[in-house]
Amino acid sequence: MKDLVLAYDCSDSADKAFAFGLDLAVRYQATLHVLSVARPPEPPSMVETQEVLEESEARFRESFRGLDEQARVQGLVPLFEVRAGHPAEQIVRYAEEVEADVIILGHRGHSLSFVDRWLVGSISKRVLTYAHCTVIVVR
Amino acid sequence: MTGVWATAALWLGLALVATLISRWLHVATALSEIVVGVVAQFILGAALGGAVLGANDSWVKFLAGAGAIVLTFLAGAELDPGVLKSQWKATVVIGLVGFTAPFLGCAAAAYLLLHWTVMASWLAGVALSTTSVAVVYSVMLELGLNTTEYGKAVLAACFVNDLVTVIALGLIFSPFTLHTLVFVLVCLVAFVALPWLTPRFFRRYGGRPSELEAKYILLLLFALGALASWADSEPVLPAYLIGMVLAGTVGKDHVLVRRLRTLTFGLLTPFYFIRAGSFVSLGALAAAPLTFLVLFAAKMVSKSIGVYPATLVFRYPRLERAYTTLLMSTGLTFGSISALFGLTHGVITQAQYSYLIAAVIGSAVIPTLIANAFYLPRHLIPRETQRGDVHLEPVPQGEGLG
Repeated sequence: MKDLVLAYDCSDSADKAFAFGLDLAVRYQATLHVLSVARPPEPPSMVETQEVLEESEARFRESFRGLDEQARVQGLVPLFEVRAGHPAEQIVRYAEEVEADVIILGHRGHSLSFVDRWLVGSISKRVLTYAHCTVIVVR
Repeated sequence: MTGVWATAALWLGLALVATLISRWLHVATALSEIVVGVVAQFILGAALGGAVLGANDSWVKFLAGAGAIVLTFLAGAELDPGVLKSQWKATVVIGLVGFTAPFLGCAAAAYLLLHWTVMASWLAGVALSTTSVAVVYSVMLELGLNTTEYGKAVLAACFVNDLVTVIALGLIFSPFTLHTLVFVLVCLVAFVALPWLTPRFFRRYGGRPSELEAKYILLLLFALGALASWADSEPVLPAYLIGMVLAGTVGKDHVLVRRLRTLTFGLLTPFYFIRAGSFVSLGALAAAPLTFLVLFAAKMVSKSIGVYPATLVFRYPRLERAYTTLLMSTGLTFGSISALFGLTHGVITQAQYSYLIAAVIGSAVIPTLIANAFYLPRHLIPRETQRGDVHLEPVPQGEGLG
C-alpha cells in the first residue's frame, strides 16, 4: 500500500477518518493525500459561486495546518489538495490521478439533509460504486 | 422613520431566513431568496394586506435596483479579457448562437402557443435566453477544463451570450430617441476611457481606509444607471459592460471585489431577489400551469439545440453530453432581471411575470436535480487520448473566473 487518499470536509467524521488514515499511513509508510472538495451551490449562481469556492478553499487550507501538525508529530508529511465540484466525483477522480490504493472517508450518516442527499446522494455510496480501488468508510 | 426601520427589519429577517434555508439545503442564495419572497408575499399579504412588504417603496426599489446593478457589475468583472481578445471569433459565434436559439424559440412559443403580445413574447425570449456563466464555470471546474483554451473559450462565449441578452433587454424595449443616442455615446466614451483611467486613479489615491475604490465604482454604476433609465433602458446594461471593461483591472483586485461582494450579498441582493419573488402570483400559476410548462419546455428544448451539438463537436461521451447539456440549460439572475424589467415597464402583466419567473426557476432547478440524480458520469474525465485536441490540466487553486 503506497498511496492513501483521505477525503476531508472538516466534519467530526472526517476528523475520525483522518486519525484512522494517518495511523494506516504510518503503519504502511504510505503517502497520505488529503483531499477536500469545495461544493458550489445548487444551482451555481453568478458571483456567489466564486465567493463560495474562495471561502471554502480558505477554510480547508486553514484546517490543513492542524492536520499537517498532527501528521508531522508522527513523522509523516501529507499532501493536501482542494478541488471543486461534486464530492464523490472529485474523490474518485483524484484517487485515479494519484493511483491510490485506498480511499478513506468518514460516514456522514444522518447529518445530511433530505435535499442534500437528493442533490449529492450518499457520497460514500457513490465512491464505493465508482472507485477503482479499495474504499474504507470510517464510522 | 419607525415604519421604514420596521420594514427594513422585516426584509432583513426574510433575508436571514433565506440564507439559513440556502445553507441547510445547499442551494443558491438567490434561488432561496426568490422563493422566500414568493412565500412571504403569499402568507403576509393574505394575513396583513398586499402592501405589507412595501416592495414598491422608493427606498426598497433603490436597494433592490442597486443590488441588481452591483451584482451584474461583479459578474461582468469575472470575465477573462485575454480569452475574449485571443479567441474573439469563436466566442462571439458560440455566444450569439447560444443567445439566438432560445431567444427566438421562446419568443415564438410565447407568441404562437400562448398568444402573448409581440413585445411580451420578445421579453419572454430575452428572459429565457441567458446561459448561466456560473453553471458552466462549475462544470468546467469539475471537469478540469477551466484552464484549457477550450474551457476558457466556452466561458467567454457564455459572457458574450449574457452580454447580448443584456443589450437586447436594454435596447429592444426602449424607444430609439435622442436620449438613446446620448446614452450609447456616453457609454462608448466611458468604456474606452475607464480601463485607462481607473487603474491610474486607484494607484494615485486608492489603498486607504476611506474605501475610495468602492465609492468610485458605485459612482460609475449609479451615474450610468441614471443615464440608462433616462434613455428608458435598463441600468444593468452599462453595469455589466463596465464590469467587463474593468475585468482586467478591478476584476483582479481581490480585496476590492470581496468588499463589494460583502456589500452586495449582505445588504443589496436580498432586497432584489426577495422583491422579485414578492411579485409572483401563486394564483396565476395555479390557474394556468400549462403556460409555465410551455415556457419551460421551450427554454429547455431551444437551449439544448444550441448546447448539445457543441458537446458532440468536442466528443463528450453520451452521459457527459446529457449531463453538460442539462446543466448548461439553466439561468437565474439575468432571467429574473429581464422579467422584472418587463413587469416594471409594463411590457408584461403580473401573471406573465409569474410564469416567466417560474420558468426561470424551473430551468435552474429541475435540470440540476435530474443531472445529479441520474447522470453522474461513470468515468468522470475522459482521458486526453479520448478527448482529441483537449489538453487537461490540474485545477489551480484560487483560480477565478478571470
